[in-house]
Amino acid sequence: MTRSTFPFRSLLGISAVLVLSISAVLAHASSPNEYDVKAAYLYNFGLFVQWPAAPEPDAAFTICVFGVDPFGKVLDRTLAGQSIGSQSTIPRRISNPQDALGCRILFVSSSEENNVKQFLSSLGKTAVLTVSDMPQFLDRGGMIQFMVVNNRVRFEVNLAAARRAGLTLSSQLVKLAVTVETSLPPEK
Amino acid sequence: MLVSAAALVLASGAFTAYTWLTFRAAMVEQLSVQARIIAFNSASALLFNDPVSAQKTLGALGASPSIVDAAIYDNGGGVFARYWRGRKSLIKAFPQISKSQTEAHWYTHGELSLARRIEPQGKPLGVVLIRCELGELTTRLEGYAAITAAVLAACLGAAVLISAGVHRSVSVPVIRLAETARLVSRDKNYSLRAAATGSRDELDFLIQSFNGMLEEIQQRDASLQKAHDELERRVEERTGLLHAANKELEAFSYSVSHDLRAPLRHISGFSKILAEENRDQLNADGRHYLARIEEGARNMGRLVDDLLSMGRISRQEVVRRPADLNLLWQEAWERLQPEFEGRKIEWRIGALPAAECDPGLIKLVFTNLLSNAVKYTRRRECAVIEAGQITVDGEDVIFVRDNGAGFDQKYAHKLFGVFQRLHREEDFEGAGVGLATVQRIIHKHGGRIWAEGKVECGAAFFFTLVPRKPSRPKPANSVSS
Ligand SMILES: Nc1ncnc2c1ncn2[C@@H]1O[C@H](COP(=O)(O)OP(=O)(O)O)[C@@H](O)[C@H]1O
Ligand SMILES: [Mg+2]
Repeated sequence: MTRSTFPFRSLLGISAVLVLSISAVLAHASSPNEYDVKAAYLYNFGLFVQWPAAPEPDAAFTICVFGVDPFGKVLDRTLAGQSIGSQSTIPRRISNPQDALGCRILFVSSSEENNVKQFLSSLGKTAVLTVSDMPQFLDRGGMIQFMVVNNRVRFEVNLAAARRAGLTLSSQLVKLAVTVETSLPPEK
Repeated sequence: MLVSAAALVLASGAFTAYTWLTFRAAMVEQLSVQARIIAFNSASALLFNDPVSAQKTLGALGASPSIVDAAIYDNGGGVFARYWRGRKSLIKAFPQISKSQTEAHWYTHGELSLARRIEPQGKPLGVVLIRCELGELTTRLEGYAAITAAVLAACLGAAVLISAGVHRSVSVPVIRLAETARLVSRDKNYSLRAAATGSRDELDFLIQSFNGMLEEIQQRDASLQKAHDELERRVEERTGLLHAANKELEAFSYSVSHDLRAPLRHISGFSKILAEENRDQLNADGRHYLARIEEGARNMGRLVDDLLSMGRISRQEVVRRPADLNLLWQEAWERLQPEFEGRKIEWRIGALPAAECDPGLIKLVFTNLLSNAVKYTRRRECAVIEAGQITVDGEDVIFVRDNGAGFDQKYAHKLFGVFQRLHREEDFEGAGVGLATVQRIIHKHGGRIWAEGKVECGAAFFFTLVPRKPSRPKPANSVSS
């Protein structure tokens, strides 16, 4: 840390402010897509969940998308070369609910909103972290639901749902949640 | 004193420096722990782009009053979240941590800064920077310095007091004791005493013992002096008595001698008249007896004369003046010449010294010694008579020697007594007063006289005329009277 004279410092400050505002303008143009952020978050969730031991240690850490894929190439780009623990992450699109058993994280597309409840209850106690951005996802038995607050992508969690699946969400993750649900939705 | 003070100052300096270093290290450690916690707790916030959560995490630093401000930077170098206490945080620049480091700290005017990478599972997410002021350290250090200074001052004070106490209770009495010992040995004054310390310790015991020793010496001195004085007094008393007795005896013998003269004159006078006027009436036996009476009276007259002269000499004062002993010897020799007229005597007379003496009395000494030498060599075909001076142990000794009848050395000391004779009257006539007179004269001069002899081998007489020097040890070979 070198000490600089006062005028030099203020100059530096002014120029920094200028640069920041310019970049903000530029960023808006190619502003990271909402799903870019969500793709990154999908991966990040994997870092804050205590997973049951993998059946095969060197099996891949699969992040699945169920229904109409809103990510496109973004998810593949985000997961490329990444890993969680010793497992490398790979994306997978599924359309059959049975395929969800091989997933660690499962993003449920809004396209599946109508039959999501049955789908989630069909998973039972399978250790799959379910994530979605459809409304009332938690009420229907989901674990994490994206939402946008002040132009920021945030999320809510349902600890009871996760616990039923044998997953423990890290307190580091829970503390970031906008709301934390601790009870399961009533069975209908 | 100076050494212990230096040691104390050094020790407290070292202590303070050690404390300072320890505190700094502890401070860094404490800050590092806090940075770790922040890094751990803010990782998710960075990952999920939640500055508010990160801010909350940083807010926990409020528990540490010394932390001035803190910030979390994202990977792009932008400030992700910040915390400050009091004045607005000045943190702007992204802290520089070299690639190899996960943590770095540095000091800037009264502040300690610590930066730590946030990289859970090796994924770099950003950097946490915490700054804390060293005010606490400085305050604590000042506290320590004050305590150290106080301890130092107390120690020095105690040292000064103790050394003063030691000086007062040990050094001073020891110095006084040494001074007393010095004075005692210098002045031989055993009445001095070392001052007591008043305490009941070893030093006091030492001083008491020293004083006790002096007391003992003094007492012995006193009793020795007393014994000496008593002896002296007794000797004086006895000497006085002896002198008185001697005087009485002399006076008595003088008066007796004097009174004997008149009847003696009568005896010799009337026996002479009888021999002249009544010679014819006497037969041969009568005449023989008369002759014996006359001879006895003559002897007795001589004896009385000798006694009288000895008495005179005893009372006479010695008047010293320079005299040539050769001359005195010569005069004595001439006076006695009629006694050895016609005899064959070999004279071996050496040079005699000049001396301070009473010439009349010393001539009498020579006369007596010479007369004896002539008398006791009478039977010698060839008599040899010597006189001269020798030096024995630095003393001038005058001697008279002959080769006459001699005497038994066993009785050498007896010769000088009045009427003491070692020869029979029939062999050598005499009264036994001569050597007694000689001894008196020599003693009156302060000198000594002694004799050596062997039967039929001659005799020698030695005398000195001045008192022997007191420092000189008595020679073993000389025989004193
Ligand atoms: N030269 C000498 N040789 C041997 N005997 C001596 C000599 N002089 C003195 N004496 C002894 O000392 C004695 C005492 O001497 P002194 O007093 O002179 O007496 P006196 O000559 O009248 O006998 C003598 O009787 C003699 O026995
Ligand atoms: Mg004689």
